[in-house]
Amino acid sequence: MIEPPVAESASGGYGGSRRGPPSNQSPPSNQSWRLPPIPVLLVGVVLIACAEVGGASMAQFKLELTRWARGIMLARPQTHGLVGVRDVDEQILDEALVKFDAGLRLFHLHAEGLGTIIIVTSMVAVSVVEHAALRRVIVALITAGGALYPLGYLMWSALIPFQGIARGKAVAEWLVWIPFGSAAIVAMWLLVGALAVQCARSARGRSG
Amino acid sequence: MIRFRALETRAVRRPPLPLILVAIAMLALGETASPFLSGLRPAVERHARARVAANAGVHGLTGSAEYDDEIRNRAVFTAEAGLSFFHTHAGGLAPLVLLAGTIVASVVPGVATRGLLYVLLTAAALFPLGYLAYALAALEMGRESGVALAERYVLTPLGSAAILALVTLAWALGRAGRARDHAPRVGQAT
Repeated sequence: MIEPPVAESASGGYGGSRRGPPSNQSPPSNQSWRLPPIPVLLVGVVLIACAEVGGASMAQFKLELTRWARGIMLARPQTHGLVGVRDVDEQILDEALVKFDAGLRLFHLHAEGLGTIIIVTSMVAVSVVEHAALRRVIVALITAGGALYPLGYLMWSALIPFQGIARGKAVAEWLVWIPFGSAAIVAMWLLVGALAVQCARSARGRSG
Repeated sequence: MIRFRALETRAVRRPPLPLILVAIAMLALGETASPFLSGLRPAVERHARARVAANAGVHGLTGSAEYDDEIRNRAVFTAEAGLSFFHTHAGGLAPLVLLAGTIVASVVPGVATRGLLYVLLTAAALFPLGYLAYALAALEMGRESGVALAERYVLTPLGSAAILALVTLAWALGRAGRARDHAPRVGQAT
C-alpha cells in the first residue's frame, strides 16, 4: 500500500494556491523553491515528450524515413550533384543520409536536454530573482529559446533532401539556431548575473 | 504487503545561493560552447591547428607532411572532443547538482553534514571544466601529456567529489529514513 504524502509535504512552491502567485510578486523570503508558471512547465514537458516520440519514431520508421529521403534526393540530382555514375552517386547519397539521420538524432538529444533546462532554469529564476521584470524576461527568453532551438535540427533534416546539406544547414542556422540559441544563452547569462548580484548582497549583508 | 512511506518534509527547500550560482554558471558556459561546435567550428579548427603549429616540439612534428597531418588531425580531434564533452556534461550535471542540493536542503539533518555535501556538490558542478582543460592542454602540451594533466589535476578530483557527494547523500538519506521509521508518528492509529 502506498501511503499518500501528508498535505504539508506538498512542494512548497505555490503556498496552497492552485493558480500560483502573480508574476509581479517578489519571491518569498523563505528558502523553498517556487514552481514556474504552468505554461512554462507545459512547454518543457511537451518538448521532452516530443523528444521521446522523435526518438521512438527514428527507430520504428528508420527504413521508411531513409527511403523517403533517398527518393526525394534522386528526384533532385542537380541539387545534390548526382552525375549518374553509381559509385560516385552512392557516396553522395550516403553522406546526405548520414546527415539526415544525425539531424533527427540531434533533435532528440537537444529536445530532451533543453526541456529539462527550461524547467530548471525558470524554476531558479522565479524562486531567486528579486526583480519582477528581469524574472519575466529570463523566463520568456529561456522558454522560447529552449523550446524552438531543437526544431532547427528537424528543419535541417527535412531540408537536406530538398536543398542539400549545406543550404539546409544555412537555412536552419539563420532561421532557428542563431536567434533562438542566442535567446537561450542571453537568458542564462542574465540569470547568472542576477544570482551573482544577490550572492554579493547576501555576503555584504552578513558581514555588514 | 509492501508499505511505502513518503519522506515527509515541510517544504521542498532550495540549496544555498552560491551552489545555485555555480550550477547555473556552468550551465550558461556549456550553452555558450554550443556555437563553437557548429557555426564557429571552422574558426575553432583553425585556432587548434595554429596552436599545434606553435607547439610543434611537444606534438612531435617532424616536417613530413603525411606524418604531421596525422598528428595535427588527432590533436584537433581531441580538442574538439573536449569541447563537445564540456558542452554535454555542463548541460547534464547542472540539473543533477541542483536536484541533489534540493534533496540535501530538504531532507538531510545536521548542519555539518549538509555543509560538507554542499561543498562536494559545488566541486562536482565544476567537473565539466576538466574537459575544457583537456581541450586546451591537448593543444598546448601535446595530446598525451595534456590529456593526462587534465585527468590527474581536474577530472579525477572533481569527479571523485561528485561520486563522494552522491555516496554521502545516499548514506545520509538512509540514516534519515531509519530515524523517521523509529520516531513515533503523530496521530498514528494504534
